Amino acid sequence: MREALLSLEGVTKVYRMGQVEVPALRGVDLELHPGQFLAVMGPSGSGKSTLLHIAGLLDRPTSGKVRWQGREVSSLRSGQLAELRGRHIGFVFQTFNLIPTLTALENVELPLLFRGLATGERRKRAEGLLELVGLAGRARHRPGQLSGGERQRVAIARALAPDPELILADEPTGNLDSASGREILELLRSLNGTGKTLVLVTHDTEAAKVAKEIKHMRDGLFVGGEG
Amino acid sequence: MIGDLFRLAVRNVLHRRLRSWLTVIGILIGTAAVVALISIGQGLERSITQEVERIMGFNTLLITPQGRSFQAQIELDLAALREIPGVEAAVTVRTETAYVEGPLRDGFLSLTGYDPAMEEFLGELHLELAVGEGLTAPGQVVLGARASQVLGAKVGDQISIEDRPFQVVGILAEQEEGGGMAYGGVPVNDSLYVLYQDLKGLFPGPDLAQLAFVKVSPEADVGQVKAEVERVLARTGTTEAEVVGFEEITQRIRTVLGGVQAFLAGIAGISILVGGIGVMNTMYTAVLERTREIGVMKAVGAKDWQVMLMFLFESGLMGLAGGTLGLLVGLGVAMAASAVVQRLFQMEAGFSAVASAGLILGALAFSFGVGAISGLLPARRAAALPPVEALRYE
Repeated sequence: MREALLSLEGVTKVYRMGQVEVPALRGVDLELHPGQFLAVMGPSGSGKSTLLHIAGLLDRPTSGKVRWQGREVSSLRSGQLAELRGRHIGFVFQTFNLIPTLTALENVELPLLFRGLATGERRKRAEGLLELVGLAGRARHRPGQLSGGERQRVAIARALAPDPELILADEPTGNLDSASGREILELLRSLNGTGKTLVLVTHDTEAAKVAKEIKHMRDGLFVGGEG
Repeated sequence: MIGDLFRLAVRNVLHRRLRSWLTVIGILIGTAAVVALISIGQGLERSITQEVERIMGFNTLLITPQGRSFQAQIELDLAALREIPGVEAAVTVRTETAYVEGPLRDGFLSLTGYDPAMEEFLGELHLELAVGEGLTAPGQVVLGARASQVLGAKVGDQISIEDRPFQVVGILAEQEEGGGMAYGGVPVNDSLYVLYQDLKGLFPGPDLAQLAFVKVSPEADVGQVKAEVERVLARTGTTEAEVVGFEEITQRIRTVLGGVQAFLAGIAGISILVGGIGVMNTMYTAVLERTREIGVMKAVGAKDWQVMLMFLFESGLMGLAGGTLGLLVGLGVAMAASAVVQRLFQMEAGFSAVASAGLILGALAFSFGVGAISGLLPARRAAALPPVEALRYE
């Protein structure tokens, strides 16, 4: 078996809300291998977004181990985590999270900017990605001038900018009409076809069907088998 | 990459236009006040220095009584001073009280010994004649405006001073009150003027003087001559005297003006501080507003220092903008003010505000610094935000 891209071992996450401790994850094991396309389903509050944040190295687990390509990441400083995220992981959010003051092109360039790529190189790559998601003509538009579907495609182009191995999508169709939603899911499926590893978090059964496998979560744990 | 962060910062500042302007105006007012005050102060200092130079020249030494009271007199050996190598001339301003008889009245009046060489020393004596002419020969006297009225003497009259006859050759124009104070504390209007040699004839003895001027020849070293003058004064028994040069006088003026300036600029500087608090406020608001944006940036790989630098650039830019505009406004105000002052007081020496390179660079660096420092805490808060919390922020 090939080495896992990312592995979670007995990961727990407890949020503290004043005096009350709220467990979000209660010992999750997960291995993601190159080329995998996993949908994680579950009701809200089941811990799937927390799982995504920890898998995306945005958050640290309360206990348990997180390994990126075999390397334990819990001892890494925030700057090193940012470096890993910036090179290997792309995020797609429900609310798109584009920077409103930047154009579509500049939003796509952003991860490359923080990595220190030269302007020309950045621009070329971002233009290519916008073309890939079918928005070549909208490069100079700001997010406010784009439709929801278009914004999400810009966000996907941004996630692809550093050519990451892993793409994490958190309810990417949650704010879209069904037609745009289907287009986005198709786009994700085609990305998986090019070899990207994908995790799709959703509570929409239809959306989850685009993935190769589905896991269900409830109360901070995976439940049942593959659906 | 730092250039890119800077460009992002510029975009953000321009984006929240109104708020940025208001913040910038806060810095602007403070900088303008400080710049205007310093610029006027430097202008004042320059014109006073020029005035001193015009009146006494670079190469003139002033000998004054140490006590500095108006009545104090020092005993001088002018002949010994003149023998010092490098000394071109030495004159005193010497005033005695003499018994004067005029056609109308008699009484005791101030009698000042006048040395024609003094004209050269004190171009600004303002001893302008209303009638007649100046002293050219022994036995002549020039009267102050009020002295001529008191004595009832006109040009051509004969008066007696200490029982010796003198010919009135000129009468001075009426001086403004206090106009004679610069000149040994003698009220010019009430005085009589005779040649110095006549005064010595009337009052023999040592050269007693309120003031003395020593002119140093252009080739000689002023410092050396000054030391020599001090030695000669000590040797000839003049101990209560002080020798000051042009450098020292301007230095004293500078010290006093500098103190006043620092005090005023300090007060004005408080308004820059207030402007800095404005910057801090704006930046805290910006961090709060863009919390989600910060989260996104961190998610796509922005490191803490990059986020921090971006916010520092934003606050520094606002500081710099305020400083630049404040500099222009301040210099404008200073120029307008000096034009008004010049007109109101009809100053003869040109008085204009000074825009020195130090002031300009200092104002720009200081305002950028105030901006950046004010932004430091907000920027640190932005950099320290955990990415997940920032992303979740509504």
